[in-house]
Amino acid sequence: MALASPIIAEPKHDKLRQLGIVALNGMYDEMDAEGVLKQAVEDLLPGSIALVSSFGADSAVLLHLVSKVDPGLPVYFLETGKHFPQTLAYVETLKAHLGLSNVIALHPDADIRRFDPDGTLWETDPDSCCYLRKTEPLEGVLDGYGGWVTGRKRFQTAERGVLPHFELTSDDRIKVNPLAYFTHEDIEAYKAKHGLPQHPLYEAGYKSIGCAPCTSAVAEGEDPRAGRWRGRDKRECGIHFDFNGSIARPVSQASLTLFKDGAVRTDPWKAWTEDDTAEEARYTHVPLAVFRDYRDVFLASPHPIGLRVDPGDRVEDVAEDLDRFSSIAINFPAFTDGRGYSSARLLRERFGYAGELRGVGDVLTDQIPFMRRCGIDALVVTNAATRKALESNALAEVAHYYQPVGARREVPAGTRPFLRRPEPRVTASARSDT
Amino acid sequence: MYRYDEFDAAFVGERVTQFSDQVRRRIAGELTEEQFRPLRLMNGLYLQLHAYMLRIAVPYGTLSARQMRMLAHVARTYDRGYGHFTTRQNIQFNWPKLRDVPAILSDLASVEMHSIQTSGNCVRNVTVDQFAGAAADEIIDPRPVAEIIRQWSSLHPEFIYLPRKFKIAMTGSPNDRAAVKFHDIGLMAQTNREGAVGWAVYVGGGLGRTPMVGKLINGFVAHEHLLAYLESILRVYNRYGRRDNKFKARIKILVHEEGLENFKGQVEQEFAEIRGGVLTLPLEELDRIEAYFAEPDYADHGVVAIDVEREKILDPAFGRFLENNTFPHKRAGYSAVTISLKPIGGAPGDATAEQMEAVADLAERYSFDELRVSHEQNLVLPHVALTDLRAVYDGLAAAGLADANAGEITDMITCPGLDYCALANARSIPIAQDISRRFAAPERAREIGKLKIKISGCINACGHHHVGHIGILGVEKKGTELYQITVGGDGSEDAAVGKILGPGFVADEVPNAIERLVDAYIAERSDPGETFIAAYRRLGDAPFKEALYGNG
Repeated sequence: MALASPIIAEPKHDKLRQLGIVALNGMYDEMDAEGVLKQAVEDLLPGSIALVSSFGADSAVLLHLVSKVDPGLPVYFLETGKHFPQTLAYVETLKAHLGLSNVIALHPDADIRRFDPDGTLWETDPDSCCYLRKTEPLEGVLDGYGGWVTGRKRFQTAERGVLPHFELTSDDRIKVNPLAYFTHEDIEAYKAKHGLPQHPLYEAGYKSIGCAPCTSAVAEGEDPRAGRWRGRDKRECGIHFDFNGSIARPVSQASLTLFKDGAVRTDPWKAWTEDDTAEEARYTHVPLAVFRDYRDVFLASPHPIGLRVDPGDRVEDVAEDLDRFSSIAINFPAFTDGRGYSSARLLRERFGYAGELRGVGDVLTDQIPFMRRCGIDALVVTNAATRKALESNALAEVAHYYQPVGARREVPAGTRPFLRRPEPRVTASARSDT
Repeated sequence: MYRYDEFDAAFVGERVTQFSDQVRRRIAGELTEEQFRPLRLMNGLYLQLHAYMLRIAVPYGTLSARQMRMLAHVARTYDRGYGHFTTRQNIQFNWPKLRDVPAILSDLASVEMHSIQTSGNCVRNVTVDQFAGAAADEIIDPRPVAEIIRQWSSLHPEFIYLPRKFKIAMTGSPNDRAAVKFHDIGLMAQTNREGAVGWAVYVGGGLGRTPMVGKLINGFVAHEHLLAYLESILRVYNRYGRRDNKFKARIKILVHEEGLENFKGQVEQEFAEIRGGVLTLPLEELDRIEAYFAEPDYADHGVVAIDVEREKILDPAFGRFLENNTFPHKRAGYSAVTISLKPIGGAPGDATAEQMEAVADLAERYSFDELRVSHEQNLVLPHVALTDLRAVYDGLAAAGLADANAGEITDMITCPGLDYCALANARSIPIAQDISRRFAAPERAREIGKLKIKISGCINACGHHHVGHIGILGVEKKGTELYQITVGGDGSEDAAVGKILGPGFVADEVPNAIERLVDAYIAERSDPGETFIAAYRRLGDAPFKEALYGNG
């Protein structure tokens, strides 16, 4: 069915779908959490719905509902590697108690050692830490479903005061909120009625529980989430999901400009601005000239940084430091300016840069095949038509190549005449056009 | 001749499919002209004064009869019954309808032709000596290497958005008939001390508003390293060529501003990095491609020379044809025949569909199915047995193609000019027609001898006026078309740029001015064997300046 398709749909909602959502919301009694969940799992999105749970202080209620409706529903758990041992034990307790058969742990990419070699990134850069341990692992998973079950409740925040059971997000997915009308008391009553096991740290004063280094106990009467990132100006992990396993806020289409590994995704990187400093910059593409001016500071900084290469920049000048960059952005200020292709090839082929190499600027459909062949593997695309072409894998492309370029994709085929390469094997996700 | 294998055919086929879809989107209004422009330019489709113009590549100027017949079919079916052969050895159709372009490209693909990279800021069709593979004075047939360069440069991902267009020309003979020193890169076959054949590389030549003679950047590059060397030059150019001013973006400006030594240093540094790498051409591959260009199955007809003087008495027109339009062949008993597309009063370089078919028939019968397009906008039957010359001549005469003026004053290079081109400031074709009528008499043309007139309708110099022994440049001044006349240009191995001797002339006065120059030459030449250009070199400007402007 159409809803199960993982493609990112038009920003404009289908009116009929919107009406359908309104009708759905009218079908259920405020407290019929189980009916809402059943409708979602069995009729609305069969096989295309899942939930993310933190296995935190009040995750048990929703998980109990899941066990009643479909114990095999995929339940994702972000195994950040930074959890309290008690949380990991609680995962096992709930699995056994509720008979959940499909709890899936999501681990950070193996690449994390590059960014957080000694495991202390949370201390210096909690945003980046959350991004690497939560946002990234979830990104691939998110695309695979047409909807999500969340544990959000109306009472929790002011914005959530009008939360319905069913919502359509801006990217045309369906969010299902079975607990929307539950109050704090309802939760406690439900737990008591069904004898649900408590998180081991709950009684010790932990009311909202995340990763160990960033969670502390809250005093009686304090906001339950006050213990999260205490002492820091940070409330949410800044990603799609907050710690209650709920979708924090729909991602705006405008921020989805990065195309990588076959899908559009949120971009953790930002451009260098006048206000940035070498000491503080993180997840920022630093212009090559700026990097050279403050090279020592950048090399000493613990934050992940990237490099921006403009036309006319000499990549030779930073050849020694390429390991320092987690991402390099080649700027194409105008599509007719082809200098970036040479920069990309030099970085990949001569200097062996293996990290993310992205094309930014005036990126249009017709250049993309050439960019890819020169080693560019990520694209920041603002042009709507180009994005559509990328998503539907409908690039104008001649897939036969006469020249051996690129460090990875175009491998000699042996039997072919000199200078020829067969159609490249692009990653399955980029090529699947289901 | 080179023949596509499955890979080449798939490559061109994909490109046709891709562009057909782009045309469909344009017609459906899904693409604006602004969005469509770079796409169509990459496929040789220009928007001219009156209509679209489609430029089709004739790689290194070599065609088979089957291909020529397809060009005739395109001319007849989709155009107004004729096509225009260009100084880049390509052919242009001036009246195709946009909706027909996909069908045209598909028809062309069926005979292994395409329009890829015939425009845009990329490496264009490689041009070579029109007598390649036939000329008696040739060291090597440059076409196998030209074919390898064609493949290497086709949709090269790094060099598809260069600062400006990029033209490569090659000659396998020390007598340069391909004007290699007036190209971005010129390659001239060279034998080194060990007796191996390789390439002398010239860089930074060009015409346009800043004419420059190419400079020798490397005296000898072996076949196996040629692609790496070209890639090194292209990379330096792509990275450091000027992009701030369209008129200063060609490589000649970079070489000029950096200085040859500095530029060469950058190229050599790049070459040191990639030399011996993946671009190294295996000799087996060169052999494989060369096999396609193997010598035809020449026959021994027992005739190794023709008495031209005798033929001139028997049939002066045929005699004159033999004298002007045949070229010494490397194989005794054969000759390369130039088919002049410069009829008196005609549009230089134009051929009708019927003429193309007639030429295709002659090629099939008398020239081992081979044809050439010359950069001087003529056609060539490269391998004609001396015993067939009469039959070829008669066949050409029947098709209205027996003009015996190759290399003479009326064999002019002329750009399309203001009659077709959106860039032009002045008309060129009518000027050429006036001049050719003025010198129509064969005796007069013969008296004048070898003299190259080249005409451009604007500063972009598509008509190569800078290298005309007499060059004519159309400019627009205060609303009138004026023609500047230059003298002393030379596109051969003795490359030189012509000199402007004074103010321009209005169109009506041009034939008279040319006639005065010619008369001055005849009056001053040391003997009838001294050509116009040789006389100019000996005499300098003075007599010619006086002829044009008097001595007041």
